[in-house]
Amino acid sequence: MPKYAMVIDLQRCVGCGACSIACRNENNVPDGIYWSNKITETSGTFPNVRFHYLPTLCNHCSDAPCVTGCPTKAMYKLDNGITMHDPKKCIGCRYCQYNCPYEVIYFNWQEPHKFWRDPKPVIEGGTSSPKEMAQKVNNGNATPYSNPDRAKTLPENRPKGVVEKCTFCDHRLKAGEIPFCVEACPADARVFGDLDKPDSRVNWLLGKYKPYRLKERLGTEPNVYYIRSFNPAHYQRTKGGI
Amino acid sequence: MKSIKVQLWYGLLGLGILLGLLTAYRVLISTGFVLYAKTDILVWTMPIAAYVFFSLTSSGLAFVSSIPVVFGIKRYQPLEKRTAFLEIAVLFAAFTCLLLHLGSPWNVVYYLFSPNLASPLWWLGMLYGIYLILLLLSFRKIHKAQVSKGLGIFTFIIAIATSTALGWLFGLPDARPAYNANFLAMYFPLTGFGSALAAVLLFSLAYHHFAKIPLSEGDRNLYDDLSKLFGVVMVFALIFFIWRTIVGGASATAAEFAGFRHMLSSGWYHIALWVGLVIPLALIAMPAVRQATWGKVTAAALFLVGMFAGRLEMVLSGLVMPTGPKAEGQPTFASYWPTIWEVFVFASALAVLLLVYTLGERKLKLSDVPE
Repeated sequence: MPKYAMVIDLQRCVGCGACSIACRNENNVPDGIYWSNKITETSGTFPNVRFHYLPTLCNHCSDAPCVTGCPTKAMYKLDNGITMHDPKKCIGCRYCQYNCPYEVIYFNWQEPHKFWRDPKPVIEGGTSSPKEMAQKVNNGNATPYSNPDRAKTLPENRPKGVVEKCTFCDHRLKAGEIPFCVEACPADARVFGDLDKPDSRVNWLLGKYKPYRLKERLGTEPNVYYIRSFNPAHYQRTKGGI
Repeated sequence: MKSIKVQLWYGLLGLGILLGLLTAYRVLISTGFVLYAKTDILVWTMPIAAYVFFSLTSSGLAFVSSIPVVFGIKRYQPLEKRTAFLEIAVLFAAFTCLLLHLGSPWNVVYYLFSPNLASPLWWLGMLYGIYLILLLLSFRKIHKAQVSKGLGIFTFIIAIATSTALGWLFGLPDARPAYNANFLAMYFPLTGFGSALAAVLLFSLAYHHFAKIPLSEGDRNLYDDLSKLFGVVMVFALIFFIWRTIVGGASATAAEFAGFRHMLSSGWYHIALWVGLVIPLALIAMPAVRQATWGKVTAAALFLVGMFAGRLEMVLSGLVMPTGPKAEGQPTFASYWPTIWEVFVFASALAVLLLVYTLGERKLKLSDVPE
């Protein structure tokens, strides 16, 4: 049985957000919910400033606090290390959100993709309404851009009153494909693979560079690793001064 | 005239329950939980704070009702039946809050079919289920003027388990050390006991007032005794409260305590401290005030108001500072003010409590003393 992990190379990541857009398309992620997200920060003082971009997603922790806390096993681990969620068992208590140290679980506060049921045109007299658009494209059954493949392992659109999060695109893995964020990354900054295969690319990278994981001190054993950090260039040698 | 007042009272409670039903329809069926001031940052707000408030009060009432049965202090026996019934009424209020908090309450059936024994939330659900059954059995015994020491001891143990497990539930996440499980496992039962003493004083004295039954010498001594116990509990609650402030607010430098430090300047914190602890303690500390009915009622009511604010402050303190990707584009601290729908949750829970209690008071002779 494989043990899946992802390595994110921050030297390669350009912060374009293609991973988040790809994830949204692949998993029919509604507005306000982010299976794939980011942490950004700036450091320094103008004019010496730098922008830092850290892509984030569910860490699929080996010792996942969300799984420990879930009273009905709606949040559970697969043998391949993926942390999955079953909306049919979810009571909507949000204890997983409370327990997750990485803030990567989201709750469906209302019907997903509600925007597409809005009968009001975006520009009065200028455009059709979202509802008309959805009606024309897909007979009003779903959103115009819904991906039916997602329904292989989860409901195509998760109902209101339950949580949802990244699944490492488990439906694609079953079909022998890599997660769509990895597929879509134009810089190949995301590398996916099996930690149990000694010669896998993820193991090769983890051996070559010193990896780190988010909040390692909590002991959750995340399976998303980060290597390198963006290195802009060398600088002229100096001893500083007073 | 009396019947009009009674009808108005039932009408008011009925309105409260209707508001709860309307809220249930709007959040669970039509619009969704966007009606609450909850976000993916503030995932738990007033409904869960109200749940904590009511459930701990119910556990505390079990401690009070067990004083004569478990500890053999017979002078508290006149309180036993009313307290035992109040436990049930307050627990129904807690369940109302929980029902209106859960996103998919119909899936609770998986508590039985897919239990996770590692989850404090599963244990809490189970313990409260057992607790309700025990309360109903205990009250049935008391109503039949029988006393079962075994049942009383078992109820007492389960009440300790529920209130301490709630501390485990809050304190489980290592990422939120501001909720210290060890601390809450002591603070919750203690303050629950305080809330229960306040509730017993309020409801018992209200009974004498509305039923126009003057206090006998024995009643007066009993309630004075209870007020002293209430004062002692408040002293300990205040000590715990101050130490929590010092440890988490003044001396902790960890980023995870920043939310709590932020809450120290909030109105909820100050209501909990001044309205809930300092003022009622000062009132109870004065013998003349303590012995007066108005003094007892005021101190008890203020304590309950403060406790409710304190539960809300505690829930918010671990959540109010967004972290990780959810902090993107957000202010350093999330602000919170309940929506009208969250107020309806509390109002409907209170209506359920008062309706159940009123019916019990009218039909079940809660002033009877079991043999």
